[in-house]
Formats: sequence, C-alpha cells, structure tokens
Amino acid sequence: MTNRRDFLKLSALAVAATSGMPGFLARAATQAGGKKTLVVIQLTGGNDGLNTLIPYSNGAYYAARPNIAIPKKDVLTLTGDLGMHPALKPLMGLWDSGDLAWMENVGYPNPNRSHFASMAIWHTADPTQAQAEGWIGRLAEQIGDPFCASNVGGSTPQALRAGDFSLPSIESVDNFQLKLPSGMDTPFQSLLNSPRTGEAAYLTRATRQMLKNTARVQENAKKYKAGATYPQTRFAGQLKETARLIAAGVGQRVLYVSLGGFDTHAGQRAEQDELLSTLAEGLAAFYADLEKQGVAGDVVVMGFSEFGRRVAENGSAGTDHGKGSVMFALGQGVKGGIHGSSPDLEKLSEGDIIYKQDFRGVYAEALTKWLGLNAREILGGTFSGPSWLA
Amino acid sequence: MTLSPLSRKLTAEDAAHFLRRTAFGATDDQIRALAGKDARSVARAALAFDQSLTPKNPFDPMQGAGPGASIQLTRGAWLYEMVYGAWPLREKLALTWSNHFVIGTDKVRNAPALTGYLGALRRHAAAPSFERFTLEVAQLPAMLRYLDNDQNRKGKPNENFSRELLELFTTGIGHYTEDDVREGARALTGWTFTGGRGNTQYLVEPKFANQTGQHDAGRKTYLGQSGAFTGEDIVRLATAHPNTALFVSRKLHRAFLSDTPDEAAVLGSAETWRRTGGNVGAVLEELLSSEAFYASRARIIRSPVEYIVGALRTLGQPTFDAKTLLNLTQTAGRMGQLLLEPDTVKGWDGGREWINDSTLLLRLQVAAGLTLTSKAPNLTEPPSLLALTGQERPAAAVLLSSLKGRQRTYLSMISPEFQLA
Repeated sequence: MTNRRDFLKLSALAVAATSGMPGFLARAATQAGGKKTLVVIQLTGGNDGLNTLIPYSNGAYYAARPNIAIPKKDVLTLTGDLGMHPALKPLMGLWDSGDLAWMENVGYPNPNRSHFASMAIWHTADPTQAQAEGWIGRLAEQIGDPFCASNVGGSTPQALRAGDFSLPSIESVDNFQLKLPSGMDTPFQSLLNSPRTGEAAYLTRATRQMLKNTARVQENAKKYKAGATYPQTRFAGQLKETARLIAAGVGQRVLYVSLGGFDTHAGQRAEQDELLSTLAEGLAAFYADLEKQGVAGDVVVMGFSEFGRRVAENGSAGTDHGKGSVMFALGQGVKGGIHGSSPDLEKLSEGDIIYKQDFRGVYAEALTKWLGLNAREILGGTFSGPSWLA
Repeated sequence: MTLSPLSRKLTAEDAAHFLRRTAFGATDDQIRALAGKDARSVARAALAFDQSLTPKNPFDPMQGAGPGASIQLTRGAWLYEMVYGAWPLREKLALTWSNHFVIGTDKVRNAPALTGYLGALRRHAAAPSFERFTLEVAQLPAMLRYLDNDQNRKGKPNENFSRELLELFTTGIGHYTEDDVREGARALTGWTFTGGRGNTQYLVEPKFANQTGQHDAGRKTYLGQSGAFTGEDIVRLATAHPNTALFVSRKLHRAFLSDTPDEAAVLGSAETWRRTGGNVGAVLEELLSSEAFYASRARIIRSPVEYIVGALRTLGQPTFDAKTLLNLTQTAGRMGQLLLEPDTVKGWDGGREWINDSTLLLRLQVAAGLTLTSKAPNLTEPPSLLALTGQERPAAAVLLSSLKGRQRTYLSMISPEFQLA
C-alpha cells in the first residue's frame, strides 16, 4: 500500500497522455476556475406540485382533492394565496430570510406522461427526445473538465452523460479511493495499456478516468470538518458528501443528488409527507453545514421533478401522472419569493395544469447568471425564464 | 429475415462465449465439455431446464423475523440459486425478466408474494406463450401491489399498471395513446388480491381475486378495437400488438447479444416471435444458436450481479458461508443492482450505465475479496485465461501469464475482458 500515492500520480500522468479520449477530456481545463457551485436536486417519480406549493385560497384545489388536499390550517403560509406543505417547515427559515424561491407552473411543450420519457427530457433539455447527451454533460464539454460535475450517489443520471463518457458518480468520499495491493501497481498499469476496442476500450478509459478522479478528491478531502447534524436518511447522507466535496474545493461546478419515490398513485398523503420531510430536513442540514463551512454564499440549490400530478385525485387517495409542476431554488444567491403565476385550476388540459414557464428558461438562468456559461450553446436555443437569481 | 444458424462446431472460445452469456461464466472443464458440439443442440440443452431448485439452499424467506429480513433472505436465496443451481440459464432469464416485469421491494414486502413472483419468472422464462406469461404476471399479488392495480376499481380508476403494461411490458412508448391507458385501466378494474397486507402479514400468502363487483363492464376502445373488454382481453390485445414482438425481442437481444442491439437482428427475432405467436423459447433457441450470437463477443458489460455470479462460477462454485453470500447481494446493490429493487419501474438500463467511478472501485474490491484476502477460497487450480477472459490468448496474456495464481486471477477479474460478456 505504500506505493499508492506514487501509483496515483503515475496514473494521472497516464491519463493526460492518453489518446482516443473524447476531445474535451484531453483538453486542459480552461474555465474550471469558478468558485460557484450549483447543486441540482432531482425528485424522482413525479412530485405533486400542487401539494408542495399549495394554492390554499383556491376552492377548485379543494374540490378536486377531497381526500388528499392539504387542509388550509396546516399550510405554511407564504403569500395570500400560496403556502408550503407542512412537511417543508425546516425550510421556513430560508423563506423568511429571502433565500428560497419557488418557480410556478414549469413544464415544456407537448408534455409526456411517461416517467422515463419525461425525465429524459429534463435530463437532455430536449423535448423532442433526439439528444442522448445530458445538459450537464454538455456543460462539462463547454468547461472542458471531465470532473467539473459529479453525481453524488449510486448511478449516473442521463443529465451527466457527455458524448462518449459519463461524468463521475461519487457514493462516498471516504470510499472514493483505490486501495491496490502492493506490488500490483505496475501490472495494473500494463493491463490498462493493452490495446483494446469497443466496450473494452470504454472500460479502460473509464478506469483511467476513475484513477484520476479519486486522486483529485483524496488530495483535498481532509479540508472538511463536520459542521451540522444530518438526519439519518440516505438523501441527507448524500447531501453531506456533497457538502464535503464543496468544502474541499475539489473543483466541481455542478453536483447532482436524487431523491426517489414520488410516484404516489395510492395513499399519497403518507408517502409524499414523508418524502417532503426527508427533502426539507436534508436541505436544512445541508444549508446549515454550508454556512459553517463558510461557503453558503457560493452554493445555489435548484430542484425539479419530471412532472407534477393530475389535478384531481384518483380513487385510491393518490394521483396519476400529470404535466407541469413547481421548481424550487435556495441559497444566498437566490432571489427569494414566488416566480411566475399559479396555474388556472379550472382551465385544464386533459385534467392537467397548462404550463407557462419552460424549464429550459430556469436552467438558462442558472447557467448564465450563476455559472457564467453560454446557456444557448448548452441548451440548443435561447430560453428566458424568471430571474430567480439575485 | 430469420437469424442464420451457426454452421461450425463450437470452438473452445465459442463455448466460453456461450457460457459467459447463458451461465454467467464457467470453469475451464465446463467450457471444454461444450467444445466440438453443434450450436443448436447446445442451446437446446441449456434451455431444457426444469423447475427444480437447489436442495441445500441456506436461505428461507419464510424464516425472516420481519418483512425486511424476509426480503434479504429472498435475495440470498436467489443469489444462491444463481451461483450453485443446476440451471444457470433459467436464472439468467429470471433476472432478465425481473428487469422487464419490474416490481420493487419498496412496495412489495410480503415473502410469499416475492417467492411467487420469482416462481412465475422461472416457469415462464422460456415459455411458449408470452401472452400467458404477461397474464400471469398481471395477476400476481406482487405486481398488483407494485403497480397499484389492487386499488383499481370501477368508477375509481388507477392508471399505474395500465400505463406500464403498454409502455414497459408490451408495445413500448409511441404505440398507444393516453386514451388507451385510460381505457385499459377501466378494463383492469376489479383485479386485486386478498390477504398478506401490512407489516404483520408478511408471511401470509396473498391470493389473486377478481372482484367482479368492482369491474367496469362497459364498452371500451383499446388499441383500435372496441368491446366490453376485461383485463384478460387487454393483456391479449397488448401482447398481440405488432410492436410487442419487436420491443420484447430487443430486450432479449440486449440481454444476450449486445448492449447496443443490431436492429436487423432484432427484426429477425421479432419475425420468429410473430410466426410462433410469442413463443419465447423458440425465439431464444434460434437466438442462442445463431451466427449473430456467436459473432458478438465482448459486447455486454456485465451487470453487478452477473459480475459477482460470473466470478463465483468461474472460480468453480466455491463454498461461502451464508453471511458472505448475503453481503454479496448488498454489495451488488451498492454497485447499482439490488435484486428485486431496481431504481424505477423501467428497471436497470444497464450497459455503460453500470460503470462509474464508484462502481468500478467496488468491482476492484469484490475481485480482491474473492482472490487475495483471507476469506478468498482456496483453489487447487486457478481458472484458465479462457475461463476468465473468454479468449485463449487475450491481449494481456503475456502479462497475466507472468503472474502467480491468485494475482493473475485478481488482475484478470478487474480487466475489461472479465467485465464483459
């Protein structure tokens, strides 16, 4: 094990010298120096926007949902018409300090009710579903650094796919290192150097990239000192790893975390209540941690789900797949408040709300204003959105 | 265009390839035993499995002290069958079908329901009728629960199963309308199950129930046809849809031929599918003895479970204690494939999706654990390079041959060649 550092150094050199790597991976990282980080939160399964940001003054809302509507008395009031689900209470402090924003009525043209088609649209920022690359993958190509964005968790979402390569997934910072038995360094290097084609070449490339990425993380990881108590959920654990990576200054501009289970076809109240608690408690701890680390001003969180749910509840006290939903953002860089207007619950399309804000406009704001990138190039068009960043 | 059969007798590398794809992997002796045989008879023999289970399986889901423990035991029992069972192709197919007719232990926490689900996947693994397979799956308590059809009642439709029946199980997206989803849900009203609900009933066997009083007997229009359709009717219509042959054939090609299937070859299987009325066994037999199959080497990135089971079968099915086997199911989960718990109802996408920094690191750790640590099995003879890489002279042969047994096995198992099938 004594040779591990040398081994990692050696492999870092080997990566830089590799040919046959996608162009951007071999280029020097030119724009990766920015300090600001965007944390994207994916709520998988179609989070019900109407029970998240609740139009509590709207009779049509209560009429459509006799069993699952959030009673007015339980709503966390934000404005005269809108309030948050009670499980989001841990975020009230952020709202009060003007660091929490809600984007209303967000969707895209020709909405798709398939989880997977719709999620792919959010991942690729392409409602025609022609693109395979993710929007964060394209962002990485623009920055020119294959480590500028990472997923925190088990498997890499399509959003982080770039051309011929997936950006890293980091399950845990501590385990993100290679422990090769002594004496195996040189044979391992030789093994990787054997000529290969096809999927074998892909695996070789991925292994080399992994060696480089783990070295980069481990060099910096010790800079973090725990600054908050996180709840005992997998989601909160991943946010803690995210905070570690940010505090360590490893260089990622985008970090991606997912929370699943929002497909609430039956018994929605119990399920969504718990999920929103997990979300809010995790984010509140994360934000407190960032403040302790002194980096809260450099981080903005942006959350989305692939679609909202049908306005009317179904016969199982749940909701079926709908269109359009709310997005949220938090951080000191955010312009707190409600952006956009609430959907008309009496004028629906096939029982669903009619979206007004294209999500690509929300992305564009983050790309341009927060990360200082060319949003047009990444999103394949010009999209304007609410100015949710200060 | 049907798939042309392989005309030559199997070479040793052909045999290694066949066993990597259909048996997770094999020892040198098992490979040599197939060399020289005819491709069709080899495929036929592998598909001639029965339903017997390995008698000495140490895991019994009915012994679980709670729902969570029973789920763990179900996973352990399945891994054990994959590693030590007599019918690896049956298990490989069950794994493939579990990634088609997806259920998840986040919602299905009843031991007999899970065992019943696995039993159905094994029984229909290479069955003569995809329609009957789908119908049986649609009436399994595990599926009724997972996709909420147990809550689908007359006048109170729940669309979850109806949608996934079309999108994920039969026609695929783009071949149905939102109206089909709604009408299908109406036809499926009344299908539910009794018993086995709740945390205390996790050992009570749930039973399918057709509650006719909850069935919407009215006229429906589904995939272009109209009638007073029942659940049976729409399963029949969905499975008979022309695109179902193509859609499911493509999945079989992804499981057995390539992560990026060749569409011409998929068409060949779809034609056989239509000609035989959805005879999965016939499609598989043709597929597994075709030239296309034998021409497609190292095109599938082994999934975490395939990686682990492949390693254990290549090592000659060494004995492990029950705890280690249970740990391996958890490790597969951390590598992205927790049995009976795909991330979503779509199942695992597989291919390059299996590979990222974290999962690669875990593969390296698993390989080290199986070859270099104190827990590693003692082997009289380490596996041959043919068994490990599928090639008699892989590119790294000189390097690997210069290493001693355990180290050679370790390095081979972390090589791209071993990670591919």
